[in-house]
Amino acid sequence: MRWFWIDKFVEFERGKRAVAVKNVSIVEEEIDQYLPGFPVLPNSLVIEGLAQTAGLLIGEAGGFEDRVVLAKIGKAVFHRHALPGDQLRYTAVVQDIQKDGAIASLTSHIGQELQAEVEMMFAFLDDRFPSGSLFDPVDFMAMVRTFGMYDVGRADGQPIVPPPFYAQAEREAQAAYPKGPINPAK
Amino acid sequence: MQFSQIDQVLELEPGVRIRAVKSLSPGEHYLKDHFPRFPVMPGVIMLEALFQASVWLVRQSEGFAHAAVLLKEARNIKYSDFVAPGQTLEVTAEILKQDETLTTLKAQGSVNGNIAVTGRLVLERFNLADRYPLRKDADAYMRNEVREKLVGLLRPRTNGPTPR
Amino acid sequence: MPTKEEIFKKVQVALVDALGVDEEEVTPQATLVGDLGAESIDFLDIVFKLEKAFAVEIPRKDLSPEDILTNAAYVQDGKVTPAGIAELKKRMPFADFTKFEAAPQIRDFSNLITVSALCKYIESKVGA
Repeated sequence: MRWFWIDKFVEFERGKRAVAVKNVSIVEEEIDQYLPGFPVLPNSLVIEGLAQTAGLLIGEAGGFEDRVVLAKIGKAVFHRHALPGDQLRYTAVVQDIQKDGAIASLTSHIGQELQAEVEMMFAFLDDRFPSGSLFDPVDFMAMVRTFGMYDVGRADGQPIVPPPFYAQAEREAQAAYPKGPINPAK
Repeated sequence: MQFSQIDQVLELEPGVRIRAVKSLSPGEHYLKDHFPRFPVMPGVIMLEALFQASVWLVRQSEGFAHAAVLLKEARNIKYSDFVAPGQTLEVTAEILKQDETLTTLKAQGSVNGNIAVTGRLVLERFNLADRYPLRKDADAYMRNEVREKLVGLLRPRTNGPTPR
Repeated sequence: MPTKEEIFKKVQVALVDALGVDEEEVTPQATLVGDLGAESIDFLDIVFKLEKAFAVEIPRKDLSPEDILTNAAYVQDGKVTPAGIAELKKRMPFADFTKFEAAPQIRDFSNLITVSALCKYIESKVGA
């Protein structure tokens, strides 16, 4: 099972704001046995969905050059339970991006009702941590594409595209993929 | 799977504090995505471990009076270190105050004696009869399920993390 | 124009919110790092809260003079040189350098950021 706590982006404005949706299903492993008798999406996983929304928004603003990790949850308040059949709408607003981290304000809504509100801070991992990206660039692009980042993503009204390093990695990988049917081993 | 983020309860002083552990198995499914090249316990799972330790303290302290105990608020959850596969997060939680429906605790998690996460949690306690009257018949079942779970967590263990 | 008392109260609220400490712990002499437990991620939070509370902009280098502290001309053998101290004083006139000058260890630098130093800095920004 993938560690994806959003289903897709529905709005994405570079460096500013993103909206993603998360459908709550009774069959998710983390839900049906969390509190037997009352299937509910654990609020820590609501926070994860919000963090993924904001983290990808902040990462994209930096061309995915920084390694963005959750460093602090200033405040998280939950007003409603997220139940199977609910669709959570996560809105992330970037408050500040600095050299070594960023702050975002987030809300989760079910319809018009506020389900949760969270303030969170992200750190950009520095050289104290093993160097290199957290993700393989081609796999990472495949992932954000499935979230619809480049379907809805805009910067000043113009569609956004993958950063040059990632676009290049995708091109090279695609050029190297074998074509045609597989030849059984001789 | 139960999304259980506590493997064992080591100490429980009702009304006061709890000490529990969660070991990060290298086979944990979320590690493949978090992160492919730097597998570590997600911050929210560390938070969930603090929360679940708090839940067991609260439930035992109130004699399983309520069917549901869920996270209402989290404050100043600060991450100062990662938990790597094979490591064990030792969690402690302490009750700060409590009223009819809410319990406030301070909690922290450490790895090999080094603090990895700290913060404050507010838990809400309720029966479905109070909030979801149509579902009230589940209350007794729910209380019993979690009671049995804690019995298992309190059992001394000589080998490895809880089987799923 | 806010009074010094009003500034202190707002700074106190920002620190209580950001650091999860009690109001009583936020005394004028308290150091943000040593006494109140602030870490680098907290500075991001604190600066943001203060910017909002006072409608000012707080450039990073005003409170974190990394450029001075990593300059070989100003730091030698883990100690800040007299020239470095002069630069720090220019950058941070709101801080009290008496203790630091006596033992200018770079690892003790963060003790310069006390609650009262932060208040003086805000006062200079809002013209109190």
